[in-house]
Amino acid sequence: MNRRAALVVVLAVACALVPFFVHSQYILQVTDTALIYAIVVIGLGILLGFAGQMSLAQAAFFGIGAYSSAIASTTLGLSPWIAIPFGVLVSVAIGAAVGYPCLRLSGHYLALATIGFGIIVQLVFINARSLTNGPDGINSIPPPHLGSIALDTYQSYFYVAYGALLFSIYVAWRIKRSRIGRAFEAIRENEIAAQAMGINTTNYKVLAFVLASGFGGLAGGLIAHMTRFISPDSYSFDQSVIFLVMLVIGGSATIAGAVTGAILLTFLPEVLRPLKDSYIMVYGAAVVVMVIFMPEGIVGLVRRLIPSTESTPPAPLRATTPSSIADSA
Amino acid sequence: MFDLSATLQLIVSGLAMGAIYALVALGFILIYNAVGVVNFAQGDFVMFPSFIAVSFILPSVIVFGAVMHWQLPIVAVYLLVLVLMAGFGLLFNRIAYYPLRDRGWLPVVISTIGVSIFLRNLAQIVWGSQPIVFPGPFHVETLTVGGLHFRTQDLLILGVSGLLIAFQYVLFERTTLGKQMRATAQDRATAQLLGIRVDRIVAITFIYSVLLGTIAGLLVSPIFTVTKEMGGLISLKAFAASIVGGFGSIPGAILGGLLIGVVENLGGYYISSDYKDAIAFVILIGVLLLRPSGFFGERVSEKA
Repeated sequence: MNRRAALVVVLAVACALVPFFVHSQYILQVTDTALIYAIVVIGLGILLGFAGQMSLAQAAFFGIGAYSSAIASTTLGLSPWIAIPFGVLVSVAIGAAVGYPCLRLSGHYLALATIGFGIIVQLVFINARSLTNGPDGINSIPPPHLGSIALDTYQSYFYVAYGALLFSIYVAWRIKRSRIGRAFEAIRENEIAAQAMGINTTNYKVLAFVLASGFGGLAGGLIAHMTRFISPDSYSFDQSVIFLVMLVIGGSATIAGAVTGAILLTFLPEVLRPLKDSYIMVYGAAVVVMVIFMPEGIVGLVRRLIPSTESTPPAPLRATTPSSIADSA
Repeated sequence: MFDLSATLQLIVSGLAMGAIYALVALGFILIYNAVGVVNFAQGDFVMFPSFIAVSFILPSVIVFGAVMHWQLPIVAVYLLVLVLMAGFGLLFNRIAYYPLRDRGWLPVVISTIGVSIFLRNLAQIVWGSQPIVFPGPFHVETLTVGGLHFRTQDLLILGVSGLLIAFQYVLFERTTLGKQMRATAQDRATAQLLGIRVDRIVAITFIYSVLLGTIAGLLVSPIFTVTKEMGGLISLKAFAASIVGGFGSIPGAILGGLLIGVVENLGGYYISSDYKDAIAFVILIGVLLLRPSGFFGERVSEKA
């Protein structure tokens, strides 16, 4: 085991101890939410950071996962352990159905098509009352059980969310280092060149979109069984924008960037809470400042400040600036 | 079910709403053509000036929780707001765009999103979260012509938008400034070589776009109420309008806006009022799938 792998294991174990040291229910709730958001943002990172395609519908897939899982566990009475994967399936299926036509477009056009899709999905959540209970949302969503123990505290749910996050990181990491990941990167850097090298760019772009929907759906199911109440306002266009901001601020081309951005920007409003009413305003200003002064996101900044000493990263971690994404878009 | 007079009235009010979408869409397109970036704060340039204006139009208004009496004549208010927002457009250009101008579109998009979040919440802090009623400039609400009732504000919107579009046509086709703006939009490097100060032209384009949003806000506020969210849906539909018309095309944005305004008004009445807000996006997705370049667009995908 090399040093880097050892470091990752130590870090993973250290993070698993968080619930033993944090006793505030409130902070644990924010922590669990941050872990779940990190999964959504990893999905978006596969699409934008790996494959260079922009989506502003990530909150819609987050919502589709949440609603599917909530409906499956309340009206159909399925166990959350089955309902959550069911939500992922629904999200993936819709992602594929939407992705095929939409990914003939790219850049701004794709972003716009996804905005339209996201808004329609939210309107369905609000208006399809027989299925979604309309603006009131769905309550009494059951928590998952482990044997006879209900995982209904933020402490216990931490491990559900954390396990899912580690799983997501692992899957994203495997994708990045696989043939698929290299195809994504080729498409991001230059779509026409990728096509010339025999990559079926449409299929790969749809695959990236479907993967993003899948991660979004997984996170949606997780949030539904944590908060046990869902309503349409959590899955708005604004939420999609927040996920995008998390990714770009973290550093869009790396998994670490996605996770860091999600966790940091989930905590940022909580840290700013003492500012009372003005905290979201400061948050907005902070976003502008961060994007101006950290061109490669937080991860890029950290990498610049701490030059790697002996262990060189195993993957060719070519820091991709957002502008190279734009050039290929 | 079909009712001719209702339909005619819906078409007129739809055209008025469509004109608002068209003005906001023009704001999007001018910035997009100049710098290749979609400005996500465009809707907030509809909302924010409306709050400023209403603070000076009402006899008393609550600002930072204190009651203020700032009432001014309505024409003075409109001028004041336009001047303030012009300054604001310049500031926006300097802060959110200028430092990022060489870094591709994504960072600029994110920074305009940051500005949008900032403005919405600034509005909430200053004016609170209660919707504010914006009194229109007319004392008469409706005008009856041959048994048909038209809202006076709708007619004002159509008149002002028409004038503005005519003004813009003259600006772009007949003046040096307009030609410089078009040259910069078409090819920045060449424009610079020809001695056009492109950074200044871009700044002017930002100011003009912000003013288009401002005018749209002043015109539409009497129909709705002034809230921090008011710009959100308007700007997204304007976005849809600009795609439907063909992104980057000025006549396309105008026609796209009018089309969406009319179709959603009719659809909301005859099909489903619950899904009225979805209609613009259904049209958008339909157009993207069938004819991605829109009515007037040239190229489908962006440059490789």
